[in-house]
Amino acid sequence: MQMEGFEQWKEEARQWVQQGIEYALQIPPPQLYAAAAVLVLTTLLLLFIRLFKRSKSNTVVLTGLGGSGKTVLFYRLRDGPSHQGTVTSMGPNEGTFILHYESTKKGKIRPAHIVDVPGHSRLRTKLDDFLPQAACIVFVVDALEFLPNLSAVAEYLYDILTKASVVKKKVPLLICCNKTDKVTAHTMEFIRKQLEKEIEKLRASRSGMSEADIANDFTLGIPGEAFAFTHCINKVTIAEASGLTGEISQVEQFIREHVKP
Amino acid sequence: MLEQLLIFTRGGLILWTCKELGNALKGSPIDTLIRSCLLEERSGLASFNYDAAGAGYTLKWTFHNELGLVFVAVYQRILHLLYVDDLLAMVKREFAEVYDPKRVEYSDFDETFRQLRKEAEARAEEMKKAKQVNNKPVNDGRKQGQGKKVGGFEGGNKNKSEANGDADDNGKNRKLENGHSNGNHHVVVEGSRGTVVTNGKENESSNTGAFDVSKLQKRRGKGTKKTDTVVSKGSKEDPKKKITKKNRVWDDSPAAPKLDFTDPVEENGNENVEVVAADQGESMMDKEEIVSSDSESEEDEEGKDAKPDTKKKGWFSSMFQSIAGKANLEKADLEPALKALKDRLMTKNVAEEIAEKLCESVAASLVGKKQASFTRIFSTVQAAMEEALVRILTPRRSIDILRDVHAAKEQRKPYVVVFVGVNGVGKSTNLAKVAYWLLQHNVSVMMAACDTFRSGAVEQLRTHARRLQIPIFEKGYEKDPAVVAKEAIQEATRNGTDVVLVDTAGRMQDNEPLMRALSKLIYLNNPDLVLFVGEALVGNDAVDQLSKFNQKLADLSTSPNPRLIDGILLTKFDTIDDKVGAALSMVYISGSPVMFVGCGQSYTDLKKLNVKSIVKTLLK
Ligand SMILES: Nc1nc2c(ncn2[C@@H]2O[C@H](COP(=O)(O)OP(=O)(O)OP(=O)(O)O)[C@@H](O)[C@H]2O)c(=O)[nH]1
Ligand SMILES: [Mg+2]
Repeated sequence: MQMEGFEQWKEEARQWVQQGIEYALQIPPPQLYAAAAVLVLTTLLLLFIRLFKRSKSNTVVLTGLGGSGKTVLFYRLRDGPSHQGTVTSMGPNEGTFILHYESTKKGKIRPAHIVDVPGHSRLRTKLDDFLPQAACIVFVVDALEFLPNLSAVAEYLYDILTKASVVKKKVPLLICCNKTDKVTAHTMEFIRKQLEKEIEKLRASRSGMSEADIANDFTLGIPGEAFAFTHCINKVTIAEASGLTGEISQVEQFIREHVKP
Repeated sequence: MLEQLLIFTRGGLILWTCKELGNALKGSPIDTLIRSCLLEERSGLASFNYDAAGAGYTLKWTFHNELGLVFVAVYQRILHLLYVDDLLAMVKREFAEVYDPKRVEYSDFDETFRQLRKEAEARAEEMKKAKQVNNKPVNDGRKQGQGKKVGGFEGGNKNKSEANGDADDNGKNRKLENGHSNGNHHVVVEGSRGTVVTNGKENESSNTGAFDVSKLQKRRGKGTKKTDTVVSKGSKEDPKKKITKKNRVWDDSPAAPKLDFTDPVEENGNENVEVVAADQGESMMDKEEIVSSDSESEEDEEGKDAKPDTKKKGWFSSMFQSIAGKANLEKADLEPALKALKDRLMTKNVAEEIAEKLCESVAASLVGKKQASFTRIFSTVQAAMEEALVRILTPRRSIDILRDVHAAKEQRKPYVVVFVGVNGVGKSTNLAKVAYWLLQHNVSVMMAACDTFRSGAVEQLRTHARRLQIPIFEKGYEKDPAVVAKEAIQEATRNGTDVVLVDTAGRMQDNEPLMRALSKLIYLNNPDLVLFVGEALVGNDAVDQLSKFNQKLADLSTSPNPRLIDGILLTKFDTIDDKVGAALSMVYISGSPVMFVGCGQSYTDLKKLNVKSIVKTLLK
């Protein structure tokens, strides 16, 4: 029975196709062209609409050196306190969800699209895939092992702050001093000062002397003045957090500020 | 005893660990495994050894590529656990059943694991007994040689077939096969460090990601003996014969005279000309990268390339597959595409063993993955390869020399660069180019003539120094180069020079006395940068040179933490056309970035490596 129905259906379909082709052959070319043009225009229109929509992005990019605690933070934002640790990431973590602390709230909340980009330098090229859609960036810094990594942190931050996709769209950035649950963690004031000092050095070695051999798109700061984060075209703020113990309210606030509910 | 078994996502979230085993691991073997093996395109290996913090672990792993999961087992190396591969495969199969991307807690897996472990142990026990009774191979299909050829893959292969769910009914069969292979090996290497058959060789050499030369040597020997004609042709091809000299000079500075001043007669050359010549405009290091247009425009050749591989399967079935999206990729599906890619890499002068390792690693990352609709296997494999290549060539650490120079300056120390390499690769010439580039950035430079071995070397350097009008530190030919370098650095510290560029004698990697001298020079002076200068023309020899240099520097060093090569300067890049493979081979083997590329005869011909265009060229 079923088989028969299927056969019949197939036969019918074949006839339709046949008719369709014959019909298409009868149509004079100008009409065909017109139809094609309409098709193309519609597609373009749809694309435009998508692009337009995208400008209100909800993408939050978590970045920072390896081991700074991005993955812990990511799952803390998503699930709250419920996992058993992390290892070095080999690929990005990505998810669109309502932040855990808001999950009990009533009313309609816009989910945020959060991406955790691995810090391993071989994987950093992945960052360029996500930055163009970023609504805001959370740059995670290990406040515990801060000084040994200072120059690497500053360099990575410098690279991000001078990327065209960040500067042009003035993507706000939060420097998140993580692991402040430990008493030996550096304070955020200290971290800010050190980073500013280190970036000042980078500014000297990169923009002052060698314009073209480094792929930075823009230069940073105001010429003739010592660098401060307030000089950045995009808004750069700093906060303390601990992904492990869950003191991440400042990060959550920052995300909510830029991904409007 | 198994120390630990972990299941985590590629994103880095641990999903399950065996609480029963519970012992905390010493050091951080998992992170080290990921950073120095899995992310370095070495996941084709079968195991990884971790020795640090007083631990001697062996790690084995398997991927579930479709779900993006990684399974890692850790055990004490002294115990030759025979059942680990087997156990990992079973855990993978079972865990895939219960895995749900939204879940992060799998405590109910404990029980399953206990069962699996018991089974695996029992099987291993049985195997041992069976082997004692009958330690002759039962099955000729698995010759040792064959096993070796596939190298680290063996494990993955087996896992794959089991993961497909038919494991239970062919359990016996598998047991036999395993039993045979394990047993066979066990008899041979009783008491040695090998662990499991197919990877005994790999095991011994995968120490924390460092490369073992002897293994590579062995591999190469084997590779060329293979009956695979295409492969051996590619590798034997003498690159030097095929080179067409093509000078790509992108600025319109006057054609510069040759930079080779080896001939001492030129010494009294006329001062005027020299000073003029030394101002050749901006070094290419500072120009925006110009990707040669030919590589840009040929992006969409994939279709054409893919044909030979898909033909075999018939046009229709491959078409259908590409539309429907095939269930899961299997090693056999990937084989032809991998083979084609490997050959292509080899025609670009990539050393054979490296091309092979890369293919293995790419395969390991693809097996079991769902193929996306509307893609051909070849393009999937090619995309994975491209990603791997970009990853390898992207420097692991900052290569901003100028910044480091400034940092050293702040500490009132000169920044010391030692140029090392084999004979005749252009050390002195490229040293001069680097000097020229530094000068343009208002960095004061001094040369130290520490090639006290080859006659004429000091004069050659002196000529460059005079042209660039920079000071040179020389002590003739009698002195110990290590001491000359020391004095040069002291001199630079005294008069506040920013950078000291140390020229050393070219030496073959096998020349023990000279390598010892180099090791001493490096140990005594602790330079900021040890730059290996290598010809872009070399093919398989690239691996040999670099790995032996590193090996010798490590072996002959008197210090407990020997300095190895930190960076690479590739010379004669203008003469190799599209055979850019040496760049890949050298970076892969040493893990150091290419910091400069010498591409011509004038002082300005120094560039940075353009990763994107290299990758494009390699895959073209
Ligand atoms: N004390 C403390 N430790 C933390 C905190 N956040 C993360 N860690 C630890 O830092 C280590 C690294 O955390 P991950 O989240 O995996 O780091 P990551 O930034 O994702 O690193 P990559 O994946 O390599 O880029 C883990 O061992 C965490 O336990 C924190 O807030 N406090
Ligand atoms: Mg991570």
